[in-house]
Amino acid sequence: MTLVADLRAVLGDEDVMEEPVELHLYSKDASPLVRGHPTCVVFPRDTAEVAEIVRIAERYQAPIVARGAGTGLAAGASPTEGGIVVVTTALRDIDLDPANRTAWVGAGVINLDLTKAATSHGLHFAPDPSSQSACTIGGNVANNSGGPHCLSEGSTTSHVLGLEVVLAGGQIVVLGGQAPDPIGLDLKGVIVGSEGTLGIVTRALVRLLPVEPDVRTLMMGFPTVEDSARAVSDVIAAGLVPAALELMDQRMCQAVENWLHAGLPTDAAAVLLAEVVGETEGVVSQAQLIAGIGRANHAMGVEIAETEEHRALLWKGRKGAFGSVAQLAPDYYLHDAVVPRTRLVETMRAVYEIADRHGLTMANVFHAGDGNLHPLIAFDADDPELSETVRQAGDEIVAACLEVGGALSGEHGIGVEKRDLMRSNFSELDLDAQARLKEAFDPMGIFNPNKILPQGSRCFDFGGARRELPEGVWI
Amino acid sequence: MINHPRHISWLEVEIPGAPDSAFQLAPRSVRDVTSILRYSSEKGLAVQVWGGGTHSGYGTPVKPDFVMSMEHLGEVERWEPDDLTIVVGAGARVDRVEAMLAERNQSLVMPERSNGATLGGVIAAGVSSLRRGRLYATRERVLEVTMVTGDGRLIRSGGRVVKNVTGYDIHRLVVGAFGALGVIVSVCLKLMPTPTGAATVEIDELAGAGVIARPLSVLETDGSVRVYLQGTEAEVAAQVSRLGGRSEPGLDWPADPEGTWQWSLRVPPVLVGEALARLRPGWRYLALHGVGEIRASSESHDGAEDLRSWAESLGGNLVMCKGDSGLFDPWGKPPVGLDLQRRIVAEFDPSRVLNPGRLPGGV
Repeated sequence: MTLVADLRAVLGDEDVMEEPVELHLYSKDASPLVRGHPTCVVFPRDTAEVAEIVRIAERYQAPIVARGAGTGLAAGASPTEGGIVVVTTALRDIDLDPANRTAWVGAGVINLDLTKAATSHGLHFAPDPSSQSACTIGGNVANNSGGPHCLSEGSTTSHVLGLEVVLAGGQIVVLGGQAPDPIGLDLKGVIVGSEGTLGIVTRALVRLLPVEPDVRTLMMGFPTVEDSARAVSDVIAAGLVPAALELMDQRMCQAVENWLHAGLPTDAAAVLLAEVVGETEGVVSQAQLIAGIGRANHAMGVEIAETEEHRALLWKGRKGAFGSVAQLAPDYYLHDAVVPRTRLVETMRAVYEIADRHGLTMANVFHAGDGNLHPLIAFDADDPELSETVRQAGDEIVAACLEVGGALSGEHGIGVEKRDLMRSNFSELDLDAQARLKEAFDPMGIFNPNKILPQGSRCFDFGGARRELPEGVWI
Repeated sequence: MINHPRHISWLEVEIPGAPDSAFQLAPRSVRDVTSILRYSSEKGLAVQVWGGGTHSGYGTPVKPDFVMSMEHLGEVERWEPDDLTIVVGAGARVDRVEAMLAERNQSLVMPERSNGATLGGVIAAGVSSLRRGRLYATRERVLEVTMVTGDGRLIRSGGRVVKNVTGYDIHRLVVGAFGALGVIVSVCLKLMPTPTGAATVEIDELAGAGVIARPLSVLETDGSVRVYLQGTEAEVAAQVSRLGGRSEPGLDWPADPEGTWQWSLRVPPVLVGEALARLRPGWRYLALHGVGEIRASSESHDGAEDLRSWAESLGGNLVMCKGDSGLFDPWGKPPVGLDLQRRIVAEFDPSRVLNPGRLPGGV
């Protein structure tokens, strides 16, 4: 028997693919620089089939890479070590419990479809990545995805109450549940954001939030990027936590306007989109406060969306930003480092300086309210020299963010693209602890190997440090 | 018999309320903590980590060789009011940090009546604020944890930013882990601004709270239901008039019920009412509607077994927070994935010296 034959015996012929065209299609996610070469691509129809796949993979020591819609931006779902790509899109049940404000959701359910299903009960799923019309809940869980509205409500991890997971050995477990504070270690909490390296999530129990009674969306244009960044810092410093606080620079706005005509000003150096939600009396006063802070930072005009259509148009402009970059170049390379909100102004200055120095075309659209940058470099990935320059500039941008106390990634994940930068974010012992955690979950190392942690993260020589200490020495 | 380490006598302290042990230490630096834990791992000495002692009744009692108090490691290292973050030593008392933050209208969103609990203790026990229904549980506040593993490795997880997916969330795994992975020495926490408007409204029927989309909390204590509101003054005034009950300005937080036995009952949110109906007469309670958490006290453990079976059948649990673990199992049915939990703990504390056996399933 072979790996593929064993898989076909369990899944049937049509759910196991190995034609070159199919293998090519599933050889990468939305990240432009990394492609893998899978042995086969499988489409399990239920959790039991996933467990069988894991057992077969262990028998052949074949890597397993779980994949939802493939919208990931860090090559987390690229099968760089070959093996089996497990596509979860057939796991698409939604089981709503409106009274408890929760839903059990198959890993393959599309983010926006979940919110659409919940809307008739006056509920919604808070994490709303720009890719929400395509990305799956399984992918959101794997990457601990964010989105513009995670500023006040937190990322995916804050909205996952339980998980059904296939662990090593094909063991199916249900972790967590509707009741708060399950006892024992919070395994669910560490699986969220683990990019498919600890097991395969087949279903998630998610928290649904009530749709807020009222909302105000403001748009403000600024003469300089620094003015807009300072306005963001001032909003946070004033003790406001809006539902969203998003920045787009001029190049981004121009690209969006060419394509979507969302009414963004193209003459401003930066546009700030702010949204406040809650009771009417609250949103009215908060919107006034934010507008005042904008004007104090030289906002050229303040526009408050008066209708739902107007609001939807502004958000369409924001969420279509990445798509509109296709006008600038065939590919884009994107980092998503995070910095303290007090350091936004100087960091943005450094980021522009790096792009200018390398002569690169850069646009910025980002979650300014939580300090999560998205400097986006448009380029042609077929040009190897340019690709190398882009990568180099990316590394410099990350270094600038870490310099001010930031972190590598706010919501896109580490995958392969940022894996080797992990050493600049963590000490050897920090990485060793993470590698030990991975080993405890996945002793055979078959779940999405060589992602997140750089080679050699596990240091086996720690015992040496202990032996150097003479008996009885404390300090 | 343990050899008394004479050379660290200057770290020795008396810890009121701590369990019997050969000696009691209070490290004065992170380096002290790493040295102490290397030593205890080498000698196989069981350590009970001590904060404010507030949650010492949780879990299977530890028989420690020594108790380590975190009282000297409670400095505020860095408060960034304009970034809404704070870095602080684990031994800091929650109430003192909250008092400092209140001067700039900010809050940790940790237990309101903390009775001397430390930040490290609240995080290790995984207990949360009464505001958790609106502002989320303690686990969502923890941005970064610096800790010393059982074998004395100093490690850090997370970062000092409010949104972060860099590496595995070990800093979430330590929430509620009762120190089994490591001794938390300092944390970076996400703060929340405290709006100026606030009111507490007593209502006659729980259903009446439904007119507010997302109240700060809805609490029920011994027959009375109160809705807690916070926001701009205009917003709170409008909500108060819509609720139509007896209102008072400000937030008047109730204390947890106290008794010989204390409990935390956790059920799906919609079943809080049914849970209260199942409490024996004489049990006192503080229930968090919309959350599913009920804090209760009683003078005996009669009826607790039935209550636990019912909660466990719904995926919840009944945790003993204070009582006699000889008479009643503090945790109940162990969680799934116990082997995996053991393997993880073994990676962080190979000699199993930190609060050994305290977690469910004897981990």
